[in-house]
Amino acid sequence: MEQFAFTTLSVFTLVCALGVVLSKNAVNGAMCLLLCLAGIAGLFVQLHAYLLAFILILVYAGAVVALFLFIVMLLDMQGGQPWRPRGAGIVAGIIAAALLITGLDLLAVRGRLADTAPLGHSVGSSLKLYSYELFTTYLLPVQVMGFLLLIAMLGVIVLSRRMAEPEDPR
Amino acid sequence: MTPLQTALFVLIAPLGSAAVITLFLGRRPALASAVSVITAALVAAGGFWLALGGARFAESAEWLRFGTFSVELGFKFDDLAALMLCVVGVIGLCVHVFSLGYMHDDSAKSRYFGGLSIFMFSMIGIVLADNLFMMFIFWELVGFSSYFLINHWNARKSAADAAKKAFIVNRVGDFGFLLGIILCYWTNGTVNLSAFGESHAAAHVVYSRLIPLLLFCGAVGKSAQLPLQVWLPDAMEGPTPVSALIHAATMVAAGIYMLCRINVLMVPPAMGVIAWVGTLTALYAALCAVTQRDIKKVLAYSTVSQLGYMVAAFGLGSVGAAMFHLTTHAFFKALLFLGSGSVIVACHHEQDIFRMGGLRGRMPLTFWTFTVAVAAIAGVPFLAGFFSKDAILTLAFENNPAVFAVLALTAILTAFYMLRLWKIVFLGAARSEAAEHAHEGGISLTAPLVLLAALSAIGGYRGLYPRSFDGVLSTVPEASGSTFAVVLATSLVVLLAGAGTALAFYSTDGTDALDQRSPSVFGFLSSLRASFDVAYDYYVAKVQQRVAMVLNFLDIVVLAGAVVRGLAGVAEIAGFGVRSLHTGRLSNYVYWFLGGVVILWAFAAGVL
Amino acid sequence: MTPHLEAYLMLSAALFAVGFLGVLVRRNTLVIYMCLELMLVAATLALVAFSRFNGTEDGDVFVFFILTVAAAEVAVGLAIIVALFRARQTVQVDQLNSLKH
Repeated sequence: MEQFAFTTLSVFTLVCALGVVLSKNAVNGAMCLLLCLAGIAGLFVQLHAYLLAFILILVYAGAVVALFLFIVMLLDMQGGQPWRPRGAGIVAGIIAAALLITGLDLLAVRGRLADTAPLGHSVGSSLKLYSYELFTTYLLPVQVMGFLLLIAMLGVIVLSRRMAEPEDPR
Repeated sequence: MTPLQTALFVLIAPLGSAAVITLFLGRRPALASAVSVITAALVAAGGFWLALGGARFAESAEWLRFGTFSVELGFKFDDLAALMLCVVGVIGLCVHVFSLGYMHDDSAKSRYFGGLSIFMFSMIGIVLADNLFMMFIFWELVGFSSYFLINHWNARKSAADAAKKAFIVNRVGDFGFLLGIILCYWTNGTVNLSAFGESHAAAHVVYSRLIPLLLFCGAVGKSAQLPLQVWLPDAMEGPTPVSALIHAATMVAAGIYMLCRINVLMVPPAMGVIAWVGTLTALYAALCAVTQRDIKKVLAYSTVSQLGYMVAAFGLGSVGAAMFHLTTHAFFKALLFLGSGSVIVACHHEQDIFRMGGLRGRMPLTFWTFTVAVAAIAGVPFLAGFFSKDAILTLAFENNPAVFAVLALTAILTAFYMLRLWKIVFLGAARSEAAEHAHEGGISLTAPLVLLAALSAIGGYRGLYPRSFDGVLSTVPEASGSTFAVVLATSLVVLLAGAGTALAFYSTDGTDALDQRSPSVFGFLSSLRASFDVAYDYYVAKVQQRVAMVLNFLDIVVLAGAVVRGLAGVAEIAGFGVRSLHTGRLSNYVYWFLGGVVILWAFAAGVL
Repeated sequence: MTPHLEAYLMLSAALFAVGFLGVLVRRNTLVIYMCLELMLVAATLALVAFSRFNGTEDGDVFVFFILTVAAAEVAVGLAIIVALFRARQTVQVDQLNSLKH
């Protein structure tokens, strides 16, 4: 049962990811990204990380992709240009794929992961446990994230100010 | 003051004078000349005080040290140095005083007196040096001073060329000198002149002959012996007092002095070579002097000839004879040059003897002092030259009859050309406007002449020299018995033959009698004189110039082109290559990123 | 039968590769950005898989940080894209090449 679920979800996710990459229309791509995230959330659930799945949907699918869609529509592009596969791109793609496959193969053959059996119990997804970790072991990164968010906010404010007069870029 | 301090003062005072003149008195020629003359007087006084006071010492201080090799600076003040220092002091003072009058109207008087001071410093350095490295340093300084002073009237191309020629020819000799010094240091472990006596154990036969010959190369250059004598006649482009001081009495005598200093290193085969070089030089120069028109050139060739005598005397084994002749020669040759300077200035800087004449009545003091000098050099009995030349002839007669014959022949020629000069310049009627209005110069021109004439007259009597110089002068050969008679007869015959022939042969009508009567001989002698210059010209133009052009080609193509511009080109290409990475297109950057990932992966997987 | 860890890792790697491919070949800046997000998500998947199979919660906690960073990055990045669009009137990457030497 789990295997079936896993297979379905992974195929779905991959197909949607390919859809993001290959779609001509940016809005279509954003939609595909949304579905892809849904698939990932499903996989998280299968990994017993329920809270994370929820947060993923909330933050990523709800905020990030929505923001993407806003901007796509703001910029109001007249359709995308058809994507023509060019030589360098194909070569790069092949290289990337080859890397990936050989890497994973090595991992499977030489790594020790083949012997790892899935553990019986799962850590669970209690918020209490996460927050305990966040505020003790990972306190410093939390503070850094705070600063990061502050800076990001400031950056966005600065960037989105309309310039005095947009001079001719050329 | 202790003797060492006096010696130090005598050495440094001219340097100080030169520095003061150069730094502060460039626009104040009168003050510069005063400073220089006073310094020369102090140096002469100091030198005499040291020499006659009987102080003899040898001190040295270490100057540079590289591991086990050290260069020292020091003084070695023995009888030889004392005699030379007195000669240098006296002649220097006379020339300084004479220059006050001779260079009175010159536009660059300060520079001239600065140059004279530097020369005095360098020459005294050679005299007092106690090791060959120090002597070499001052040797080069003297060469520089000579270059500087020959080139005094530097607007004239001939003067600039002559100065260059003097320096370069000296450099050739100095190369051999330096090789000799290095070889000496290498075999003996020291170049200290006092240390030679003890450690002269050059067991290697080749070195023991090579070292003195290489060191002699320095003397060949500096004292204008064959084949490096070509610079001295050209050096007459300098002012006459300079010629008197440097190119007659002191600098060119430095070569002889150096030979006397390294006497302990000499071996018979080397000395044979030295003797013959000197003899042949003497003969060659005498032959060249016969055809000269320029009064200073005659005296220049005469100097070369007399230096040949001194070198021959040394080569025959007697330091005393060489130094004695050096001393007397300094007196009468300086007198000859200063007298000719007086004549030149009186005739408004005319140097052609065929445009002078009749100066006997118009410049009596110059005439009589010049006569004394001519008599001295020709070997008239009882004057200085007679005794010193006889000493050399005695030495030659006892050791090497062939050399004796050649030297005697040279003596005939000496008398011949000197009397020719004397007659044409002073006797007869005035042959030019300038000569008609010639008159005696002021006290600064005449006082040195009188002093030097006195010294030329009495300088031959060794008994009159202070006891202080006994270390040198006691080794002058004295003839006795049959040798005495032969040598005396020879010198008298030589004198009468040469002088008589000259007086009879040459006329005072303004033409060269030899040229008139036998142009072939005159032509032969002229081409003999020019032969060395022609040969050197050929060598420089054909051989050296071609080598220089090859090197130039190498420099332009290989060094400047391939190496320098090549490296620059490589840098440029590298820069171009790196610059082309900046396409501005995001996708390209991401491809490079992918490339980086591949490499990292390869590292991680152990493939790389 | 639960899937092994390698399966999750292979999936994560495949997603990452697809995202990277998208970054390489697409010319629309926004789509490139979306593919960038895809890569981030693939990384989070790997992290969660590891944390599950090792029995710890460190990987899960780290996903929090990734999410935060992704959110901040998207905000700022999109602001930049908008500013760029205002200046250049285009978001095609091959027309945004004024850094060319």
